[in-house]
Amino acid sequence: MSKFLFVVPPFFGHISPTLSVGASLIARGHQVAWAGIREIAPAHVPAGGRFIVPHAELEEHLPEIQRILKRQDDGPHISGAETLKLALEETYLPFCRFLMKGLPRIVDEFQPDVIINDCITFAGAICAYNKGIPCVTTTPVPPDVGGDAMSAPKVHAWWVRHIMALQEEFGIYAPASVVNSDKLNIVFTSQEFSGIAHPPPHMKFVGPVKGRPNDTPFDWKRLDKATSPKVYVSLGTLLVDIRREFFSKLVTAFADQPLTIVAATSPDIFEQWPDNFMVQGYVPQSQLMAKMDAVICHGGFNTVNDTFMNGLPMLITPIAYDHFHTASLIEKAGCGIKLRYKRLRINDLRSAMWQLLENPQYRNAASRIRDTFIQAGGNSKAVEYLETFVEECKMINVKFQM
Amino acid sequence: MDQLTQPTNLSEQEILDVLKQFITEVIGEEFVEDLEITPQSSFTKDLEMDSIEIVAFSEKVKAHFGRNIDFTGWLSNMDLDEIIQLNLGDITKYIRSCL
Repeated sequence: MSKFLFVVPPFFGHISPTLSVGASLIARGHQVAWAGIREIAPAHVPAGGRFIVPHAELEEHLPEIQRILKRQDDGPHISGAETLKLALEETYLPFCRFLMKGLPRIVDEFQPDVIINDCITFAGAICAYNKGIPCVTTTPVPPDVGGDAMSAPKVHAWWVRHIMALQEEFGIYAPASVVNSDKLNIVFTSQEFSGIAHPPPHMKFVGPVKGRPNDTPFDWKRLDKATSPKVYVSLGTLLVDIRREFFSKLVTAFADQPLTIVAATSPDIFEQWPDNFMVQGYVPQSQLMAKMDAVICHGGFNTVNDTFMNGLPMLITPIAYDHFHTASLIEKAGCGIKLRYKRLRINDLRSAMWQLLENPQYRNAASRIRDTFIQAGGNSKAVEYLETFVEECKMINVKFQM
Repeated sequence: MDQLTQPTNLSEQEILDVLKQFITEVIGEEFVEDLEITPQSSFTKDLEMDSIEIVAFSEKVKAHFGRNIDFTGWLSNMDLDEIIQLNLGDITKYIRSCL
């Protein structure tokens, strides 16, 4: 049996698939821990696992960590180029420096056989490199290989310059980036959906991984009585002002339509909702999806995965960050329609939704994506890659010691 | 002798008026109403154009001002801060320099 340490950022979309894979590793008898700069709700940590935050080393940085987390709310209001700067310079790099204060101690105490760093949580890979521990990377969203801005040579050079400087801060003078594993990178989507024709051999697409059961109550009787097509809407955990504006557009577009809208949002953003809207803050999303005909979301990856695991067509309204890349993949796959959040017209919303519901090509394409997701193997494939990797590393170690 | 107006003689203001028209066509009249388009308007921040809109815009620029204008090539040689700062005035000057 082996010891696995996941190193994760304070963003639940990135943590969630690692919790799922971690639970599967624990079920196979392995020891699993997580390290990060912010605690998560204890209920989310799989039984038998530990989530470790180096509180003592982080204490003096707490105000700055809070400020950076709050700064993420600016994402929807800034341009793509500014978002890149915000991500690398204002978020990933400082978070790496904070976590490096306590991570080496956690690693010394836990003694993992493998460190699994999330793709934007560079501290995991840096610590692994410095301590000679094998490193795997997890990537929750389809990687944007050669994205619009990153394909500009000076922008790419800017990224590389920052990564190399960061590595040197921690005594690494490798000629190339070590902040993501070049041995094994587990990606939680399918290769077909990612649109990457020739991925590097260490990039393994395992598709969505299953979360823990969600037994949040829901008015299933009312839902089952509804006879009109059912549309699920989720905006993730974005700002309240965006939420109001977004849902007021949806209300205008769909209040008089023969549709049943299930909206995952706090009902108190409006005094009154139309009769065909079912509104609830926290919902059992995976169970709900099974009863839906279409989904509207901004492109948060957990919802995207749930949608296509159920073979549903999607109306995607990208707002910021990686949403635009995800939206372009959905359009390429033909399993949905993209409407930009910034310039959302009521008529477009309405006609796009009826297109999705009435033109079978969208649902057929969504079913094809579901098939690729299932074939990718999910949890058991991720566990297989990790177990094979750790066994190979142990064998190499034994050879070196002989 | 009568002569057609050569593009070289276009003033920055004339180019700007054409660009305003293209922006309106690309992002939609109802959304332009809320925007004040000036030479200082930044391309990505004030006009909030995404990559698809930028491609559509540059196609229009090429079709109108000629093939010498390699708008996307010009953009891809910028660093992040230049992209963030880029405004309509810069684009007008660039077009003029290509004519």
